[in-house]
Amino acid sequence: MIVLEKINKSFSGVPVINNLSFMVHQGEILGFLGPNGSGKTTTIRLLNGVITPDSGRLTVAGFNPVTAGDEVRKRCGVLTESAAFYGPMTARENLLFFADLYAVATPTRRVDELLHACGLTPHADKKVAVFSTGMKKRLGIAKALLHQPEILFLDEPTTGLDPEGARTLLDYIQELNRRFGVTIILATHLLKQVETLCHRFIFIDQGRLLADGTFAELAEKYLTAINLQVETDLEITGTEFQGFPLEKNTPGFLQFKVERKEQIPFLLKALLASGSVYSAQIYGRDLETLYFRIKEEKA
Amino acid sequence: MNKRAAKAIINKDIRAIGSNIQLWLPMLIVPLVFSLVLPLVLVLPARFTDLSTMGNIEQIVKLFSKLSSGPLQETIMALPLAQQQIVYFTVNYLFAPFFLIIPLMVASIIGANSFAGEKERKTLETLLFAPLDLNTLLWAKILAAFLPATFLTLICSFLYGITVNIAAYPLFGRIIFPEGNWLLLLLWVTPALSLGAVFVNVFISAKVKGFQEAFQLSGLVILPVLGLFIGQLSGVLLVNSIFLWWSGAVLWLIDFLLVRKCGRFLNRNQLFTSQVS
Repeated sequence: MIVLEKINKSFSGVPVINNLSFMVHQGEILGFLGPNGSGKTTTIRLLNGVITPDSGRLTVAGFNPVTAGDEVRKRCGVLTESAAFYGPMTARENLLFFADLYAVATPTRRVDELLHACGLTPHADKKVAVFSTGMKKRLGIAKALLHQPEILFLDEPTTGLDPEGARTLLDYIQELNRRFGVTIILATHLLKQVETLCHRFIFIDQGRLLADGTFAELAEKYLTAINLQVETDLEITGTEFQGFPLEKNTPGFLQFKVERKEQIPFLLKALLASGSVYSAQIYGRDLETLYFRIKEEKA
Repeated sequence: MNKRAAKAIINKDIRAIGSNIQLWLPMLIVPLVFSLVLPLVLVLPARFTDLSTMGNIEQIVKLFSKLSSGPLQETIMALPLAQQQIVYFTVNYLFAPFFLIIPLMVASIIGANSFAGEKERKTLETLLFAPLDLNTLLWAKILAAFLPATFLTLICSFLYGITVNIAAYPLFGRIIFPEGNWLLLLLWVTPALSLGAVFVNVFISAKVKGFQEAFQLSGLVILPVLGLFIGQLSGVLLVNSIFLWWSGAVLWLIDFLLVRKCGRFLNRNQLFTSQVS
């Protein structure tokens, strides 16, 4: 369990985190979303006690990262964009080195296991200096998992990975969460990838909390208008149909604006009464639209 | 202190020296010159030239009688030949500063690289995310510089001893090095001095951004001070050993205080911020 209460942090007088409060429940996959420079990485660093907040209270797994940082770090695995490995050492040597720092009980076995899980076995004895971005990222994930952490902070884990690699990684993350109950904080820009993975989302911008909730809760609140595209043989003239405003009118397809999702059945019934409906699809009810709606509303 | 983590860091750092030619080349060449080339260049001509043909040799030999009285002067004065006196003086006195410079040089190079190198390679962040207390990290970094410095000094002294003894044996018919206060200097004073140098360099390295900055700062601030100290200390070889015992003890005490007091000025937040910003 993670709690942030009224956290403030500035770097040389420039505020980066502004009165930020939120919670992450145990066993949850949290989507931690926000544009570049919104304070996601800083928040992850604060939660791991590598930097200290100017004010406010932090709790991670029952410990205060400021005063009991090592206890927190023993329980947390971290992957950040800027943290690097030792180039002249091989992937295996790097992992064995960190296994010593993280007090892993059976380092050789654990390292082999993770090299395999992250698809790095064929590259285990290559120097990290020659690794591609994607390989470095996978190595970073292997390092983050070395000590079987309770909490996993992943900062942009899929950038630099090909679609296949990203999919494998996200499946692996989901499995870690399901099988071992690992709490996962996933900071990312790639909204499509995490839409179905995360249990809950936090949106931040300029170090401020914009929104916090499950997709359903947030959609309820922010995605007030729904665009419904219907494939039909019905031909309509004018800008509305039985009180539902028509957004687009192309041969064979009609796109309606619906205020609430509860109205969809009524619209469909009305359409069916006058013609045939072959398919109906909601547009703009995804994380990306939500992201832009929230940003727009809070700007 | 987390021994397993400290050992891992020391191992990693010492192995990293081997893979960085900029680090190990000067640390190999300079000691080789001091312990092999220079002694031969100075001892062999003294052995093979007839010194009495040189005009002012009398004045040099006269100087020996004006040295501070102590074991070294007594031994020199007791030697029958001017050649022996000059070679003995060169071997047992003139070279002393080199053996203080070698560990200091190694300590400075590795020490300056310690934190700054990690910052430059962005690996400090990865280290700081680990459950590793700063005390362990600091000690590991200190030892990773101190151990090679001390080891290299001992190897060099050994090489130097072999070189000068072989070169000078025909002249003396006995081993002339190490004599007098040398062992005390090498085993008691030098390690204390290099530990201090390592600490100051590691500390600077933790506070600045990169290796260049760390190395320049340590060169500007530390080396002149140490140079002065070395000049004074090698003079001590002439006098009795009690002074050396005391110098060593004072240096060890300074080291202890430095590590105890300054270690507290390091904190994760500062270290981290000095990497990322």
